[in-house]
Amino acid sequence: MYLVAYYCLLLAFLLSLVLAGWILSSLSSYLDKKLCSFKWIERFQLINLFLLVLASFVLLWALYVRDFSFAYVVDYTDKTLPWFYALTAFWAGQEGSFLFWALFLSLFGSLFVFMSSYKSLSDLSKKYFWIFFFIIQACFLLVLTGPSNPFQQLSPPPIKGNGLNPLLQHPGMIFHPPLLFIGYAGFSIPACIGLSVSLGREDKSWLRISRNWVLFSWILLTAGIVLGAWWSYMELGWGGYWAWDPVENASLIPWLCATAFIHTSIIGRQRKSLGRTNIFLIGMTLLSCFLGTFLTRSGVLESLHAFSGQKVGGFLLVFMLFLLALILLVTFKGQAREKNQLSDFITTPGAMLVLAWLLLFTGIVVVLGTMWPVISKLWSENSIDVNADFYNQVCLPLFTISIFLLVFCPWLGKRSHSSSLVQITLVAFFFILAAVLWTQGMTKFLPLLAATSSITACFSIIILFFAEKGVRKVRTRWGAYGVHFGVALIALGVAFSGPYKQEREVVLHKGQSFSINDYTFTYKDFSKYTFPGMAAYQAKIEVSNADKIIGKLTPERRIYQNFKQPFAEVSVLPSLGNEIYATLLGFSRDQAVRLKVSVNPLVNWIWIGGTLMCLMGFVALKKKITYFDGQVDEVAG
Amino acid sequence: MRQKKNQKAIYVISFLLLLVGVGYLVVSGINKNSVYFLNVSEALAKDAESIKNAKVFGKVLAQDLEEKEDSLGVKFWLADKENQAQAIRIDYAGAVPDTFKPGIEVIVQGSMRETGSVFEAQSLMTKCPSKYKKQ
Repeated sequence: MYLVAYYCLLLAFLLSLVLAGWILSSLSSYLDKKLCSFKWIERFQLINLFLLVLASFVLLWALYVRDFSFAYVVDYTDKTLPWFYALTAFWAGQEGSFLFWALFLSLFGSLFVFMSSYKSLSDLSKKYFWIFFFIIQACFLLVLTGPSNPFQQLSPPPIKGNGLNPLLQHPGMIFHPPLLFIGYAGFSIPACIGLSVSLGREDKSWLRISRNWVLFSWILLTAGIVLGAWWSYMELGWGGYWAWDPVENASLIPWLCATAFIHTSIIGRQRKSLGRTNIFLIGMTLLSCFLGTFLTRSGVLESLHAFSGQKVGGFLLVFMLFLLALILLVTFKGQAREKNQLSDFITTPGAMLVLAWLLLFTGIVVVLGTMWPVISKLWSENSIDVNADFYNQVCLPLFTISIFLLVFCPWLGKRSHSSSLVQITLVAFFFILAAVLWTQGMTKFLPLLAATSSITACFSIIILFFAEKGVRKVRTRWGAYGVHFGVALIALGVAFSGPYKQEREVVLHKGQSFSINDYTFTYKDFSKYTFPGMAAYQAKIEVSNADKIIGKLTPERRIYQNFKQPFAEVSVLPSLGNEIYATLLGFSRDQAVRLKVSVNPLVNWIWIGGTLMCLMGFVALKKKITYFDGQVDEVAG
Repeated sequence: MRQKKNQKAIYVISFLLLLVGVGYLVVSGINKNSVYFLNVSEALAKDAESIKNAKVFGKVLAQDLEEKEDSLGVKFWLADKENQAQAIRIDYAGAVPDTFKPGIEVIVQGSMRETGSVFEAQSLMTKCPSKYKKQ
């Protein structure tokens, strides 16, 4: 079985390599151009996909039946694991997640063949597209057949497996990694389209052709990041949703780059400017997906998640440098159609460009901070790391300015009487709101600015839809502004729950109580439950607010069969205002408990905003793709 | 035409302003928030004075591991990953993560006590438990 799967990967690797070489050679004028037939290229790509699907099925089947002769199955499953969690072990480990990524890369490449936008490309562009695509695909397959092979055999097979980490047995974790990987894979297609169309010197707008691809991948990436944040909030028991851990940063960097590209591409489509910038940015988006993987998989950083995979790291580094050179070459040598001058500065496109700068700067800061232990080695004997505070100090002001831009962005550059009226209203609203929040005790400057901006931005969007009929009629604008409404809600949640979270760690004996603000917490009872494969110890905490009981918290500590260490199961009293959050850190024989309790204001708006961002992203997708910059059909903001 | 040129200048100036602002934030952020990132051997090689705020990483040893009763914290020996003979005594105050146990790799952050024998840690992070790989 492993041999079948392994040879599938090997064959697909060789096929991709040969195809890339074949098309490359057909570009040279010495050979007969007719030798290169797209019919065959497309068929071979379908064979590649078939081989990858087959290999994936072998792995899924092995996981399903718990075939312990597969090293991968032994590493991530055991017999007591429910079958759906066993299947999700597909992407629980490095080898499997690379296979998953490669599978979706191949799937997207094959899907693109059947799209009319592919058929509309010129022969030359198609050739370049396939060269880039096959190189990327071959790179993945090389990793999969070499340093990171998911089909390693154990002989004799062990009797039992190691089991899936209980932290990963959570609905948030089922979908978090695949969403990220599918997003990463999705960005390969628009990147290949952008690079190839600009090399093919076509008169079509690659920005229009690739718009839905970019947006779709962006939605999945966003969903993956939000889900990851929710998972770490609910499952890790830190009570935090974002710790600026290298792995979190690794998924944020491509997101920042892609979001910047989405905004510059709007300028590209509408004003036909920023041609080279767009080609460069889509390339960098793809590159940052690899950078993210490199950061987490190379062991270059002593990250929380890092593990030894030096071989994969070195290989990825070489590939990334190659890709970077390629992107730079195409950016400067390729043809950029969009050469118009920029609009005036104080306009919506002007604001979008500033936003793109802000996002890119944030991205560079995150890369710098994450790589600082490596970079500082250049002049310092001992490596130097930066705290989470570094990111907060540098990135939060940039994010706050971005949210502030959102308030006025839709109204900039409009000279009509009604829009200046709206602008005055917004300014007044902004200052009144800031004053109200200030008197309510929100006296820290940055959170105050962020909270005020985000509420005013929501207000601004609502006014826009009431005031302008033209906006209401276009579905993609509902999508675009819906996404921004979600962004504003997230900013609101972060502005409150970040700096105004209150947390205490206490040791309590039965009957004792303590309080945070108006909330009083009383430790009532302690109990033990046992399930097959797991034992749970639970503390019952009664919560009251000003002498009124508002609920019961039941944080647990669970001990799973295969894992010696206990796991904390968080308990919350959900609320759109103050969410109460408790973790049971430990307990003694006389049932004294150690608790971490926090009050998180408005934290749930982050998840609401995140959900809105993803759902409205789908609304922003276009049904019909136009290839040329004809009618001005969209002015998405 | 003149106006177009003006607009270009505005773009350039605002880009530069933003760049300077971000540059300032980064430099001041790094100055304020950077800490030494050391393995145990490197930490032992430095004198106690210079380790006012540092992250130290290594492996938790089983011997003399004391969980503080009824309070939050743990005392243990942290050994160098490569050279287990090199070890440093850690006194950690705070919630002990679930995944903490002998043999795992942890990163502690804090400072060396004046006497130079004990490292007082305010934070203790365990390497993410086999998210991708088993210990």
